Amino acid sequence: MSRFEAKKPSLCTSEPLMSEGVRATLSVLKGIVTSCYGPSGRLKQLHNGLGGYVCTSSQSSALLHHLSVTHPVLKILTTSVQNHVSCFSDCGLFTAILCCNLIENVQRIALTPTTVISLNKHLLSLCTSYLKSEACGCRIPVDFSRTQVLLCLVRSILTSKPACMLTRKEIDHISALILQAFLLTIPENINDHIILGTSIIVPLKGQRVVDSTVLPGILIEVSEVQLTRLLPAKKSGALKVAVFCTTLSGDVSDTGEGTVVVSYGISLENAVLDQLINLGRQLVSDHIDLVLCQKVIHPSLKQFLSVHRVIAIDRIGVTLMAPLSKVTGAQPIGSLGSISPSSYGNVKDLCTAKFGSKHFFHLIPNEATICSLLLCNRNDTIWDELKLTCQTALHVLQLTIKEPWVLLGGGCTETHLAAYIRHKTHNEPESILKDGEYTQTELLLIAEAFCRALESVAGSLEHDGGEILTDMKYGHFWSVQADAPSVVNWPDLFSQCGCGLYNSQEEFSWSFLRSTHHPFVPQTCLPHEAVGSASNLTVDCLTAKLSGLQAAVETASLILDLSYVIEDKN
Amino acid sequence: MACCSMVAAGSAKAALQVAEVLEAIVSRCVGPEGRQVLCTKPTGEVLLSRDGGRLLEVLHLEHPIARMIVACVSSHLKKTGDGAKTFIIYLCHLLRGLHAITDREKNSLISENIQTHGRHWKNCCQWKFLSQALLTFQTQILDCIMDQYLSRHFLSIFSLSDKERTLCRGSLELLLEAYFCGKVGRNNHKFISKLMCDYFFKCTTYKSETSVFELVDDYFVELNVGVTGLPVSDSRILAGLVLHRDFSVYCPADGDIRTVIVTGTVQPVFSTTGSELILNSEAQFQTSQFWILERTKAIMKHLQSQNVKLLLSSVKQPDSVIYYAGLNGISVVECLSSQEVSLLQRIIGLSPFVIPQASSQCEISNAALVKFCKPLFLRSKRYVHLGLISTCAFVPHCIVFCGPVQGLIQQHEDALHGAFKMLRQLFEDLDLNYVTQISDQNDTSRPVIYGDSKESNQLPETGNGSIQRPHQDTIGKNKNELENTQTCIPCSTPKLTSADTLQTDETLRCLSSEKDRIVDDYEPLLESNSTTNSITENTRIEIYENLQVTKVAGRGSMLPVRYKLYKMCTSQSYCSSSMPAGCVLPVGGNFEILLHYYLLNYAKKCQPSEARVSVIIANALLGIPKILYKPRKGIYSFPQIYIRTLRALKTSQPMVSSQTGLESVIGKYQLLTSVLQCLTKILTIDLVISVKRQPHKAYDQDSEDEL
Repeated sequence: MSRFEAKKPSLCTSEPLMSEGVRATLSVLKGIVTSCYGPSGRLKQLHNGLGGYVCTSSQSSALLHHLSVTHPVLKILTTSVQNHVSCFSDCGLFTAILCCNLIENVQRIALTPTTVISLNKHLLSLCTSYLKSEACGCRIPVDFSRTQVLLCLVRSILTSKPACMLTRKEIDHISALILQAFLLTIPENINDHIILGTSIIVPLKGQRVVDSTVLPGILIEVSEVQLTRLLPAKKSGALKVAVFCTTLSGDVSDTGEGTVVVSYGISLENAVLDQLINLGRQLVSDHIDLVLCQKVIHPSLKQFLSVHRVIAIDRIGVTLMAPLSKVTGAQPIGSLGSISPSSYGNVKDLCTAKFGSKHFFHLIPNEATICSLLLCNRNDTIWDELKLTCQTALHVLQLTIKEPWVLLGGGCTETHLAAYIRHKTHNEPESILKDGEYTQTELLLIAEAFCRALESVAGSLEHDGGEILTDMKYGHFWSVQADAPSVVNWPDLFSQCGCGLYNSQEEFSWSFLRSTHHPFVPQTCLPHEAVGSASNLTVDCLTAKLSGLQAAVETASLILDLSYVIEDKN
Repeated sequence: MACCSMVAAGSAKAALQVAEVLEAIVSRCVGPEGRQVLCTKPTGEVLLSRDGGRLLEVLHLEHPIARMIVACVSSHLKKTGDGAKTFIIYLCHLLRGLHAITDREKNSLISENIQTHGRHWKNCCQWKFLSQALLTFQTQILDCIMDQYLSRHFLSIFSLSDKERTLCRGSLELLLEAYFCGKVGRNNHKFISKLMCDYFFKCTTYKSETSVFELVDDYFVELNVGVTGLPVSDSRILAGLVLHRDFSVYCPADGDIRTVIVTGTVQPVFSTTGSELILNSEAQFQTSQFWILERTKAIMKHLQSQNVKLLLSSVKQPDSVIYYAGLNGISVVECLSSQEVSLLQRIIGLSPFVIPQASSQCEISNAALVKFCKPLFLRSKRYVHLGLISTCAFVPHCIVFCGPVQGLIQQHEDALHGAFKMLRQLFEDLDLNYVTQISDQNDTSRPVIYGDSKESNQLPETGNGSIQRPHQDTIGKNKNELENTQTCIPCSTPKLTSADTLQTDETLRCLSSEKDRIVDDYEPLLESNSTTNSITENTRIEIYENLQVTKVAGRGSMLPVRYKLYKMCTSQSYCSSSMPAGCVLPVGGNFEILLHYYLLNYAKKCQPSEARVSVIIANALLGIPKILYKPRKGIYSFPQIYIRTLRALKTSQPMVSSQTGLESVIGKYQLLTSVLQCLTKILTIDLVISVKRQPHKAYDQDSEDEL
């Protein structure tokens, strides 16, 4: 049927960023993301007024997924952050805050958007080339022969998600497990390119967090009844496995597009069942010990197999199929007959395991890169948050393999980078101004806005009204508690900078983060011994942060470049 | 039920109002300083755009005249892929010009005290005459002016030598950069134009541009992949073809891979359409099922024996096919779209494999070789990456577009698609509706406007004379240039023979020292700094640079070629003129100012009634440069540029452009004719009748009529 109604004309708004409404909503969004940032970030409870699921989180992916944003300008911002998170898992809040800050700061400057966009692009390339260069003073190489830095990375991620509600001891336990799970996915024999395995996170709610554990191989949940029925058949030692991806339920398969006439008294179901039993016979004669089926196995076939001491597990689901064929080396079988013996696989052992109230079959592989992370928590909502955090940590570890560097965390990278940019634009503006398109004043204005945006991201880590300072040597981030007396000597109030690399024993000159700055040369090139000695650093993933930085600047440029919004009201 | 609403001043006034509103929107997106527009769809998706056609489309305009304008724009875009914003601006200025004239005339009419109603119809008559005059102008005078005057300013993106045309990378870069300036965000246009340029040179083989344009235009969606969440600078070109799906089963294989395409299920079907299968026993059913499995197994075995390693299928295959394919080491990709299948067929020239019905195992003739086939991970999604060995002119390459949001990726894709349309048009000759008559041997050509209608004869004899004179000037100038280039040849020819790296530097020095003459020659490339910078980057560009040197040398031969062309024509009596492929002009309103100048000159020499139309068009043309130079100040402001250009034209000095970048003349010409056609259409309407009836009744009627 064709559409009769004429389309309604669209609504066209000019200069969206000039409108008060948009500014107000932007600052609300900024308030939400800023207050969530960092280890002491505040949690948000998101729930639908009509009931249903309640989400308590401070992670950008959970927040933005549940928030419904209506204004198109904000939608650009949130989708951009979500797209970044789906690629890199980490640094979502960083991206969102930086983007909001950039938009806000630039609006205060009366420069044309084209100037702002081009200069921001120059500043961004200055940042990225610095962070990628050898001289970079805020990144640390990752030594894969030692777990120290990797453990710091995982621990930093866990600490920055306060909604996981973990104690110090629990953080240590979980970060060790995550690192162990990650190491299990690295193949032993490495060729020219590595294909990482997967860690499957298995939920186990109602148990203590410290009961969580990592097992090599695959855990398949079974009911207790199934277990008692299947257990007698179990052999010990290596098992021969057949994995089916086609249904073994005995349905009459696709009969084509023509008509099928069946004579009276003939049952096609029986015929198919006969076929299934024949298949069972073949499996038995091929000495199969374990049959796994993605879909449903007909009860008669199950009975037949069980009589012949073959364990049959069905309804595996499509997500486990790829890990299964990797663990067992079997090829998923898609036919009810003429099975080639080469498509069978094997496992080292099959045992039953009981964790909490749940029963599992545990497939122990001979050699494979699949492991199961059994994640426990007593609370459903917190478990969700913990799972998301574990996935983030595992993904970040994978990214670190590709680019074996980490950035200093705890706000130090941001303040250091801001100091670097400020120094560069004050003392060497020629590299950017060589086109002659912009004046030095324009550059300094934009650079100040850019650095302020970076520093406010670092400043967002402090939620309790404390004061933030930077030292004028390394450009690192130092925070002071709110209730500290103001007259005492600053260095007595804090022991370590944000990332934990330096302590205040040295003679620094100090500067408030919110005050005006004098450009100085931040010390580049980290001393090696400093990195080696520090055992408890806060570090961030380089790849994720770099990409977050790029996403934030690109998105801010996009939003600042808007001259019209056309809304289709149909 | 129909309700007539009379538009007092005909449709022109309404059109002006509509066009002014549209102009206000598009003029902010025009040119290098233009900004973005965010469009939302009712589904909630957001789209970023600077594309005029897209903006007009999403506005969902209600006004009938506005809808007519949008229809005209979209039909223009379908042809050329560029110029929607300029279209609106031209149209608006033209309408404004017309309006100003008629206002003046109306004031004189009021004294005559005619009844209002009568005046309306009288006005409409006037509009009608105007529209006829416009039509005459568009079909006859415009082509004449293009050929007689404007053509001498044209540059070519090709270097012509010995009747072979070679495309210069430098000129293409300039052309594309200028194009993307108006299409994508300011911070990305350089990157995108470089991407497009790389893609173009990677995809085309020697002399194959036109067929490649056609193919890329037709299969643009299949030739690119969008990835959200990565920075724009991660966009890249991949050799081969990326299919937007994953392998159903993947078996790694080395070396050349034999491939077949199937369009049906490999497994024999139990019963076919229209047939009836009678089952008399369970055993019969089981046997047939068994036979089907065995047959599938046999077919896959056969494929393996024929060394087939990859099976591409346009339909979903049953589980058993996938299973046996895996057993036999054959990778399978299912559910290819019909577009993908036809693209594959065009690139590798492979027809679908028909599964032999009989059990006799024949040789598979229709299989193609693929260099590699492997899974490709982009973000977390898996794709199939095929290294196709092309049998046609197109060298298969894909573009991976990255961006923070889908809306931006879409914008870049649209811009590239538009650029291919623009190039496709630029690479074709355009025949002008104008015939040159060569009257005598003295190289003075005598233009005659050819047409069946008597109106063409209205062109006064004096007009012909006026056309003649500048042409003689041209020839004199051509001779001048010939001398210039001849002096140029000795200093650039030695470089052609030597082939060491020092040569480029030398060439450069030579080129820069000759800058003045180069401008005189209308050699587009040498003004550009971008080419100069890129020379040191790789050897490939160096080769192009060499070609360019040839061009400088060949320039002497190129101009005389044209020159000779005229001479050759003397043997015949007529010579139909055309715009050769690859004609470009520097950006920044050059086309508009030139045409403006020549139209005014022309108008001075013809009857006032005709001159009026020319003057209106000439003035309307300035609308674009006015907007382009708006943010500039001082000597780069519009009045300064305008005066300088006119002075240069009057004294026949070379025009100096302040901007680098080129634009297609054919595109501009097409745009002007489209605008004039649209205006003619608007002016011929004297009454807008709005019908207040349910649209579906009208729909029914229409369908009955069709029946």
